[in-house]
Amino acid sequence: MSLRGKAAIVGVGETPVDRLGGKPGEPRKVTAEYLSWAARLALEDAGLTKKDLDGQGLAAIYTTNHSQPFWPEEAANILGIAPAVSLAGGNGGASAVSLLGHGAAMIDSGVVDLVLVVAAAAPFSERGRTRAEPADTRDFEMPFGVMGPNCKISFVMSRYMHESGMTVDHFGKIAVTARHHATLNPDAYLRKPLTLEEYKSSRLISDPIRLYDCVLPANGGKAYIMASPERAKTLRRSPVYLLGWGERNNASAGPRSNANPLITGILESGKAAFEMAGVSHKDIALLALYDDYVPIIMLQIEDLGFCGKNDRVFFEKTDFTIKGDLPIQTGGGMINCGQPSTTGGMLHVIEVARQLRGEGGARQVADAKVGLATGLGAVNYGKNFGCTAAAILGSEP
Amino acid sequence: MAEEKKEIPKPLPEITPVTQLFWEAAASGKLVMQRCAECRSWVWCPRPACVECGSEKLSWTPLGGRGRIFAFTVIREVVGRALRGFAGDIPYVTAWIDLDEGPRICSNVIGCPIEQIAIGMPVEVVFEKAGVGISLPKFRPRS
Ligand SMILES: [Zn+2]
Repeated sequence: MSLRGKAAIVGVGETPVDRLGGKPGEPRKVTAEYLSWAARLALEDAGLTKKDLDGQGLAAIYTTNHSQPFWPEEAANILGIAPAVSLAGGNGGASAVSLLGHGAAMIDSGVVDLVLVVAAAAPFSERGRTRAEPADTRDFEMPFGVMGPNCKISFVMSRYMHESGMTVDHFGKIAVTARHHATLNPDAYLRKPLTLEEYKSSRLISDPIRLYDCVLPANGGKAYIMASPERAKTLRRSPVYLLGWGERNNASAGPRSNANPLITGILESGKAAFEMAGVSHKDIALLALYDDYVPIIMLQIEDLGFCGKNDRVFFEKTDFTIKGDLPIQTGGGMINCGQPSTTGGMLHVIEVARQLRGEGGARQVADAKVGLATGLGAVNYGKNFGCTAAAILGSEP
Repeated sequence: MAEEKKEIPKPLPEITPVTQLFWEAAASGKLVMQRCAECRSWVWCPRPACVECGSEKLSWTPLGGRGRIFAFTVIREVVGRALRGFAGDIPYVTAWIDLDEGPRICSNVIGCPIEQIAIGMPVEVVFEKAGVGISLPKFRPRS
């Protein structure tokens, strides 16, 4: 089954992000407030009202700081709508891109013709209870002092440097490019230009990962609304069509007890997205790659087939800025715009939608007609990401 | 009133029917993992059935405890409340060790200055008591 052109993004909404609420006296907002705010912004953008969503689809992404088993129902309850279909984003940071496909399938099958995807998290202002961890993490990583994703992606990065010969200069180039784009984005959180020297002298968190390799945790809410192509044509915004989509979870490059951690499931999900879209690499005007860490951006560029594995020369020669050969992280990415927990991946879907609508302002990629967004979630024992998804979006169906 | 300074405990594994035999072996100084009788794959972490072929014929099989560092990191900051007990150990090394038999295990490299640790370094298992009936398989350099 192909979902090509079967659904379109018709509205997007993003609250400002902040890092407040953890200290006494700081202004404090909770998850429900960011959720409600983001949904309202997306509805306004689409020219729809809350009433239009009754009997339609609602998708809510589970977050790590406010996780309860009936979260999609609670989200509907917060918003005061009665969905005909509730979808759950349970793929962590991959959820925003995964749900593009899940929502499109619901729309294409005729079950609903609108789907609101909404996500919010307030890790600074709303401390959840001690969260449950996957059994492998709880039993075979935490007792050894494995400090979550920082540590696990450090394993991947250390091996990547060993096999590819990539150095701090290669990673720094990506970090500096993303920050440059953030300086052009009024909604970014970190907007001061970053030099290569500043990147290289930022403190080591978990060698070889340093501060400016890491995503920026934040409070915030984000939402997008999908519609059938017929419905999309009646709404006020230029539709952004889903052209291609793929999801691959629990991928393992090689034996499961000894996988190659430098190959992600994006190899498969990206291939599926390209096949469905029927576009080639040169048609892609911009990449919005899930960026919890700088080296992961590079592994995805390789896995998507824009270059070979460990292709140092490609990373040296390519201009990744909005005016360059292959624009990436055109709004600055999560590293500069903030990551509200597992909902952060919404940023990439929304950035591609904005670019294809020509609303990029100072960061607009010229003549952007097709863009690609990815999502990654969960870091599995001894490998890399458990959840991966890729989507190709276009301004024409 | 003098406030008693309490040591923050480190998290311990939860022993389940799936993992029990691993931890029992570890407590007696032996490194074992499941191996599939049908397809001969190693299965790690412990599972109810083979993750390669689906067979339930898994047998706990001893390993030599020798391998090489595949990747490693130096932990320099505590992240998250659950791991505050490691604050006093910083900096320390966590690593992926590729065992000679094939499987990759996540552990610590100990008994060696951090500057000397490198990818490819040969290591061997050493068990460190972490709690009642629980020993953690850690790794130290071997010549
Ligand atoms: Zn088997």
